Amino acid sequence: MEVVLKSLSKHFTDRKGNVAKALNDLDVTIPSGKLIGLLGPSGCGKSTTLYLIAGLHKPTQGQIFFGDSDVTNVPPEKRGIGLVFQNYALYPHLTVRQNIMFPLENMKMPKDEAIKIAQEMADLVDIGKLMDRKPKELSGGQQQRVAIARALVKKPRVLLLDEPLSNLDARLRLQTREEIKKIQRETGITTIFVTHDQEEAMSISDEIILINAGVFQQMDHPQKVYDEPANLFVAKFLGNPAINIFHGQIKTGVLSVNGVELDKGFKGEDRNVVVGVRPEAFYLDNKGKIEINVEFVEHIGRDITVVGNVENQNDSKVRIIIPSDHYNDVFDKSRLGFTPKRMYIFEETGERIK
Amino acid sequence: MLEDKKDGWKAAIALAPAMIFLVVFMFFPLVNTTIMSFMEGFQFRANAGIFAISHRYQGIGFQEYINVLRDPIFLTALKNTMVMVVISVPISVILGLLVSVCLNNIKRLQNIFQTIFFLPYVTNTIALGMVFKVMFSTNNGLINLIVETFGGDKIAWLTDATTKGYWSALFVITCYTVWSGLAFKILVFLSGLQSIDKQYYEAARIDGASRARVFWKITVPLLSPMIAYITITSFIGAFKAYESVIAVFGRGSYIFGPAGDTNMWITVVGYVYKLLPSLMTPGNLSKASAGSVILLLIILAFTGIQLYVSKKRVHY
Ligand SMILES: Nc1ncnc2c1ncn2[C@@H]1O[C@H](COP(=O)(O)OP(=O)(O)O)[C@@H](O)[C@H]1O
Ligand SMILES: [Mg+2]
Repeated sequence: MEVVLKSLSKHFTDRKGNVAKALNDLDVTIPSGKLIGLLGPSGCGKSTTLYLIAGLHKPTQGQIFFGDSDVTNVPPEKRGIGLVFQNYALYPHLTVRQNIMFPLENMKMPKDEAIKIAQEMADLVDIGKLMDRKPKELSGGQQQRVAIARALVKKPRVLLLDEPLSNLDARLRLQTREEIKKIQRETGITTIFVTHDQEEAMSISDEIILINAGVFQQMDHPQKVYDEPANLFVAKFLGNPAINIFHGQIKTGVLSVNGVELDKGFKGEDRNVVVGVRPEAFYLDNKGKIEINVEFVEHIGRDITVVGNVENQNDSKVRIIIPSDHYNDVFDKSRLGFTPKRMYIFEETGERIK
Repeated sequence: MLEDKKDGWKAAIALAPAMIFLVVFMFFPLVNTTIMSFMEGFQFRANAGIFAISHRYQGIGFQEYINVLRDPIFLTALKNTMVMVVISVPISVILGLLVSVCLNNIKRLQNIFQTIFFLPYVTNTIALGMVFKVMFSTNNGLINLIVETFGGDKIAWLTDATTKGYWSALFVITCYTVWSGLAFKILVFLSGLQSIDKQYYEAARIDGASRARVFWKITVPLLSPMIAYITITSFIGAFKAYESVIAVFGRGSYIFGPAGDTNMWITVVGYVYKLLPSLMTPGNLSKASAGSVILLLIILAFTGIQLYVSKKRVHY
């Protein structure tokens, strides 16, 4: 089921009349049968977007379409959605089986049929043996599966997941995100997966939608979003370690940082710009264009991270990743070269120039 | 270990004032009363101290219990109390629950409604009884005015000594009991409702649960600890009914009915009060004590049953 959001906005007004613009003019089309990551920092309006799609919030403005039908004014129970809440919201007084059966009972399905379907769904998410337990007798990962089973059991047209992995430990997070991906593939349900974790979004999504402060930033394939960030926010938000930022100038079409010429052929007036270079784009090079004062080296195993600073770029540290074999080549002052393909140039306002 | 002991002492010191209070004002009177109930023909002796045992009595035994259980007034009081318990507890718990759920759902004017329902909580119960007495008075009471507006005949709510008067008085007493106890129940239920995570309701909405199912399958189970607490305390309170009757009849501390039958709605506690010594009568302390012990045993039995049931039914 394709989900279309048309200039969707949500503003919250509190008692004193203060308006919080949680979401502004979001225009996206979520393709049918895909797993879409909705990514952005905490408080940027991800849950709000999800609740709007679910129908739990009424939009201040705009429309929501499921396929061709306008569901903007359709109540949540009639939208055919499954929602997994951030803290699961499993009914604490019901057993796993009763939790999963709850949506089916609401549809007045005969009891034995409901039990059978609930069992199938529980088996799919691998909790088939825990049916008689209460939620508090389950681990975080198991609770999470129950929540997914409960959301899937009524065969929703759209599955919404609100930071489903944020309560799990690191190892379980990796494992569960693979399973979510697998279940999504098997069921083919259009799925929107909310997360503030860029790595999670990159690894699981067919496409990523990036939001910041309630404003749409970019939507594309994960690799594309990383390789071709639409603006400075996206460039900074994706990638770990984060992109390195330098302050540069364009003078008569020539871009330079600290007086070193990096590129040319730029149009427009002379101005200050922001230059971003991905950490993995750097390599040690005696004739490189950038000199850093190395502060320390971190070992990750396969790679090493070299952290340092650059003269006249006081506010930003430089972090580069190089293969660990080069450890002995790192000196207090090292010169670096970089692959130009991984260099991005932005206006000071954040728009991408190149 | 040493640490534990130290903490134990600290806890004991912190608890001491409450413990002393409990012993002096609850435990000691309880034991004293129980002892007194076995002392047949108990009489005070001057300067004999606070211990029952050092006063005058004729024998030790169950005689006073037998006397109480054979006393027709006690049996009336017991029947009246039971009727009031059985009627007022379910009504007040269910009403309190419904009002709380409604209050919790309305957005506007919530404070005003809350204030209205909390009024009895801060109002003197006897004053409240006076209001009821006036409202239900036969000749120019508000209630009869309404009854007449709808074409009915005047009802002698509180002045009729016949069977009809018995039930009409029960109606008034029940209204009074429910109304005066509602505030506390709403207080507890509302705080319980507000502590239920809103996400359960959002999840239930998405799962397509009807309003009735949300109430029975989510609200009631999640509120069950409060419901159990309120039910048990209401039962105990209802068994101790006394001032509701005194308040609505409003004719003195020993008058439990209209002129023709002043024991019409006597309760067990009322019965005990009537047996206490006063300026008018020497009273019968051992009989009064036996009556209180019987009431205590009944309340204990009921509370025990309810605790047992709620252990199986309540979700914590
Ligand atoms: N019910 C609400 N009332 C007022 N403000 C809200 C409400 N829900 C969310 N907001 C505000 O909207 C913004 C976006 O919130 P949310 O969608 O929950 O962010 P997140 O991306 O972390 O899920 C936040 O600034 C939040 O404070
Ligand atoms: Mg959120």
